[in-house]
Amino acid sequence: MDYLYSYLILAEIYVLLGLSTNLLVGVVGIFSVSQAAVFGVGAYIVGDCLLSGTLSFLPALALAAVACVLLNVLISLPSLRVSGDYFVVTSFGIQLLATATFTNWTWGTGGANGMPGVPPPDLFGASIESTRGILALTTMAMTLGCLAFWLILRAPFGRKLRAIREDELAVAAAGKGVLGAKVSAAAMAGAFAGVAGGLYATYLSFIDPSSFDLDASILLLTMVVVGGARTLWGSILGPFLLLALPQALTLLAIPTTYAATSRQLLYGGLLIAFALFRPQGLLGERL
Amino acid sequence: MLALQLLVNGIVTGSALGVVAVSFALIYATTRVFHVAHAGVYTLGGYLAWSLMRHGVPAIAALLVAMAGCVVLGSLIQILLYARLERRGAAQLVVLIASLGALAVIQNLIAAIYSPDILNFSAAWAGQVVALPGGLRLTGAQIATVVLDFAAFGATLVFAHRTLLGKRIRAVASNPFLAEITRLEPRRVHVYVMAIASALVCLPGVLGPLDYGLQPYGGVTPLLTATIAMIAGGIGSLAGAFGLAVAIVVLQNLALLVMPGEWSIGVTFAIFVVFMLFRPRGLFAGK
Amino acid sequence: MSAYLEIAGVNHSFGGLQALNDCGFAIAEGGIACLVGPNGAGKTTIFNVITGFLRPDTGHVAFRGRPLDGLTPQAIVRAGIARSFQNLRLFADLTACDNVMLALPERAGETPFGALFRPFATARADRRRRGDALQLLDHVGLAARAADRVRNLSYGEQKLLTIARLLATGAELLLLDEPASGLASGALDQVMALLRRLRGEGKTLLVVEHNTRVVQQIADEVLFLHQGHLLAQGSPAQIIADPALAEIYFGGAL
Repeated sequence: MDYLYSYLILAEIYVLLGLSTNLLVGVVGIFSVSQAAVFGVGAYIVGDCLLSGTLSFLPALALAAVACVLLNVLISLPSLRVSGDYFVVTSFGIQLLATATFTNWTWGTGGANGMPGVPPPDLFGASIESTRGILALTTMAMTLGCLAFWLILRAPFGRKLRAIREDELAVAAAGKGVLGAKVSAAAMAGAFAGVAGGLYATYLSFIDPSSFDLDASILLLTMVVVGGARTLWGSILGPFLLLALPQALTLLAIPTTYAATSRQLLYGGLLIAFALFRPQGLLGERL
Repeated sequence: MLALQLLVNGIVTGSALGVVAVSFALIYATTRVFHVAHAGVYTLGGYLAWSLMRHGVPAIAALLVAMAGCVVLGSLIQILLYARLERRGAAQLVVLIASLGALAVIQNLIAAIYSPDILNFSAAWAGQVVALPGGLRLTGAQIATVVLDFAAFGATLVFAHRTLLGKRIRAVASNPFLAEITRLEPRRVHVYVMAIASALVCLPGVLGPLDYGLQPYGGVTPLLTATIAMIAGGIGSLAGAFGLAVAIVVLQNLALLVMPGEWSIGVTFAIFVVFMLFRPRGLFAGK
Repeated sequence: MSAYLEIAGVNHSFGGLQALNDCGFAIAEGGIACLVGPNGAGKTTIFNVITGFLRPDTGHVAFRGRPLDGLTPQAIVRAGIARSFQNLRLFADLTACDNVMLALPERAGETPFGALFRPFATARADRRRRGDALQLLDHVGLAARAADRVRNLSYGEQKLLTIARLLATGAELLLLDEPASGLASGALDQVMALLRRLRGEGKTLLVVEHNTRVVQQIADEVLFLHQGHLLAQGSPAQIIADPALAEIYFGGAL
């Protein structure tokens, strides 16, 4: 039972991350391999705040969200100016820089040894210790995230974002601003990732750089590609499916040293297969 | 004194990254694919040479066989992946995702076959230290690196400007549409370019690890530095890409005087940001 | 009295190529003006300059006496000038109706704030938009295809849709880049009838057109551009009768 709860909690947190990545990659159409870095910043901020006792859970989560909004907007700025390919460099660079920071900035992150003992989340003075309580919390967060994503996509704002993905120049010719819409989408993606980071840190109570590295970003991208771009159901299906897959791999009795390798191999294979044969993912629209 | 040694080390490593940059620039200018999986081809070269040399194959023969292996891998990626995606009219984003998938597959296959951890790669001649006037010390591997990489760069320039195939490649790069309607056969030229660039990148892929050891995921950072050099040098300028790669690595090395090596990715990225802000088209941009 | 649209002394070069060379002309309100000239005469370039997509090296553009220099494309649409593209630039993955709705000037629900925190007002505003868009689609004869994705529309339908999207902006001066090119005669007649109807509704049209038959049938005035410079301006009959212009146009003076 605990095992199922743990799966559900993690999957729900990853749905928030999937929504975040889908907004950037699926909706606006920017290639991103740095969403795990933003996720990590959210996790470390909440971890630091709670460990030092400077803020309680909700204000810390809000701080993480704001910081990640700013960070994600900053990261996405080059994509407003330069062509898509250059942004690949920005994205890879941010991810590698973030990993270097998480690993080497011992004072703020605990370095490669990670940050142990992050207290559980608390709401209005009451600490949520039970797995069930945390599941309720992540379910609420996921539901709010999904609602926001759905509202955005069905609104004129969502229509504008889809149009921008196809042809920015034509959007400008229709008398609509492009820059503000892209920045807003990046900001929302940042908020989702920041909140997901805070939930992740408090649930696991231990975080280290390996959860926020390039491989983690590739996992997020795979979730969007497999689930499908620009749809709510695709963003939900991707994380639930991809977090279940490693369990299926354990049935193959792969030695533990090769567990991470075989997982990443699978994600890479999925990326290629979906790009070639099903660019719309399982439940989404064409990338 | 230390500064001089760091400067020389920078030129040595820079020439290796210069060849990575030149090979990447060749692909990017011709096929317009941001070939992220090039990092995997680079890594494969090192592992192939390592396994051959471990079984007593002489270094030169091992290098040549490794090059052949890289040529096969690069051409297969072009034929099975990029060419197919192009025929299906896939968006740039989808090609990037496929390339990232290919990188993940290559890296993790290598990790599964060899080991996910660092392998020590050395040869007696490579470890030998030569003392030069001025107290400079260079290893055999460093001397081989600087000589062979500068030679490879020179050969590439001669090839691009003096040979028929080189001219044909440059014609396809400068005007794909015209190339399509004339008899330059861009599709076939793209395969040639991938083959040549894969052979080229194998050289630093083998020589670099003689200094630092082999790692399945070790190709990403060199590739990132190389792409930054290509952009800073100006798309379409091979000499620009090479020169900037040397300059960036020299700066990275000199930065070691004031900060620890873990942060050199920060130096690289800072250079990229400066270029994006002030000269997004690079120093020696073509038309 | 200042002209309706006035272009004066515009120069622009791409690299070494002088695309516009002291280009200047004025058009009056109402009516259809056709911009003609051989390939490379700078017709699309002057469109790009008027609509703010290209900042000219020198020169001025004024609309109803108000200078447009340095305005963004959006600001120029709001000032009342909108343009279409030769290669259409429709949003192929969106429906015909969405293409038109996007261009409507109404802005409710176009920010994430409105979308998230005023969902009901946003939905109401969007229903209103849908109504307006359907009317415009009906106007160009595409009402039946409203819910279809653009990629499934025929080329002729797509051309009509670009005009509907142009009308949605609410602009009074419409710049059309080859609205009739590539059309079979049935669709061609449909587009020409639509352009005349728009003139009747008080719109002013500046049209780039290659087909001389179309020019003769719809133009009130013809502007002849050559090597980035206005060579002649007059009635269709005058321009077509001029043997020197015909020599440039058909004689391959390029």
